[in-house]
Amino acid sequence: MTIDCHVHLLGQAEGPLERGENLLRHADRVGIDIMCVSLGRFGGYHDASSLEKVAGNNAEVQSAVERWPDRFIGFCYLNPCYLPQSLAEIDRRIADGPFRGIKLLLDMFCDQPNLDPIAERAAELGAPIQQHTWIKQTGNYPLESEPRHLVTLARRHPDTTFLAAHTGGNWELGIREIIDTPNIIADICGGDPEMGYLEMALPLLGAERIAWGSDAPGRSFASQLAKVHGADVPDADKQQILSGTMRRVLDL
Amino acid sequence: MTDTAIIDCNANLGNWPFRRTSYNTPDALLERLARVDIDRAWVTLLDAVMLKNVGAANPWLAEMVAGYEQLMPVGSVNPTWPAWERDLAECADLGFRGVRVNPNYHGWTLADPIFGELLAAAGEAGMFVEVALHMTDERHHHPLVMVPPVVVDGLLDACAAHPTVPIVLANVKNAPASQLARDADGELPGNLYFELSHFESVGGVQAMADALGVERILFGTHAPYYYPESSVLKVFEECDFSAADLAAITHQNAERLLGE
Repeated sequence: MTIDCHVHLLGQAEGPLERGENLLRHADRVGIDIMCVSLGRFGGYHDASSLEKVAGNNAEVQSAVERWPDRFIGFCYLNPCYLPQSLAEIDRRIADGPFRGIKLLLDMFCDQPNLDPIAERAAELGAPIQQHTWIKQTGNYPLESEPRHLVTLARRHPDTTFLAAHTGGNWELGIREIIDTPNIIADICGGDPEMGYLEMALPLLGAERIAWGSDAPGRSFASQLAKVHGADVPDADKQQILSGTMRRVLDL
Repeated sequence: MTDTAIIDCNANLGNWPFRRTSYNTPDALLERLARVDIDRAWVTLLDAVMLKNVGAANPWLAEMVAGYEQLMPVGSVNPTWPAWERDLAECADLGFRGVRVNPNYHGWTLADPIFGELLAAAGEAGMFVEVALHMTDERHHHPLVMVPPVVVDGLLDACAAHPTVPIVLANVKNAPASQLARDADGELPGNLYFELSHFESVGGVQAMADALGVERILFGTHAPYYYPESSVLKVFEECDFSAADLAAITHQNAERLLGE
């Protein structure tokens, strides 16, 4: 089994279901069984997130999850600047179903106090929080979190499971930043298929703290699968990374 | 993984200064590529990019690949250095079929007249010219060695001015390739080729082949910096190419470029 922990409902097609079909067609070709999906095409990807944009994106994702419940697992997008509304969105989409996790992007550094009630509620529901992280030598977006921000948050909430999306992009740095924070899982999606990624991550984190994701459709499923299929690591670890970690996180 | 002969038009030997490089000797590279059924490769020397005297890389590369018929060396030239023509001539004397340039690492652009001079000299020598648009993700460069990607402005004019010289864009992403297709407004120059290792997005290689013309696409991996599985999975599994298109991408286009 292969579980992709990081997919977006993006693409050329106008409707979310058409975009979902495109993802599934290509996922089938490379053997991906389940995709954790967040963020549709409602509003600009990097624009500040209004409540309308949050609700619109989650509605798009929910339509795909309801259409293909065995293939898509919804991650609920939140803008933590709107805290009461974020908690209400968690209840609406996760507590009442069908979403299973939380997605945080670029709206606030994730070490800020607004994240605390969200992390507490996520722990109560057993919902992982997937936080975008990147470390850019060329300069981050204004409120773009790095793994070190997530480490600060995760240490305040040891009972919450966090996915460090992209592992900071600059993985040689990002892996090191999260080593000593066991409730952070390295989501290895996105970035180039550079040789050495898993060879470095595995001895420092263990396969149980690494989850495979693609960041499709912006990224190719294939380039991201190559990070696992091409790595000089044991097959059992590859399988743990391709599915075992997310099966545990999501109790599948 | 495949039953199609594959020529990797973008593999590397030697060392990249900012990361320990594996599978970077001829034997190790061939063994690594063979795992994904690639048995022939065009190879450059990674060390050449950061050498001051780039030309010194060429006899070094020739010595490395001597006796390895599966590896076709691609030389390196920095046309901003004095007497660069001697480096190009040395590559020809060494039997190299083409040379690579790294304009961003060597401080020039494709709109500079020196590019035309290089193309003219390569044409006289019967060599192709490969332009590496970048080497690694700019967002993660060493803080003291930050090198922006090559801008393709001026490339189409250069192609038109030297129509008999094959020009290969290596490490080219979707955006600059799409820009060139738009700028060409219908017909890209016949001497322009695109190496696919950096094409991204779901089904991205197929989309780029549709946009650029499958006859211009060259299979490449950027190994051993990249896992070679990436390009193989993109072409053979994620996309749905016909057998004819697969043959074109994996070896026929490269063979035509070389006049074989």
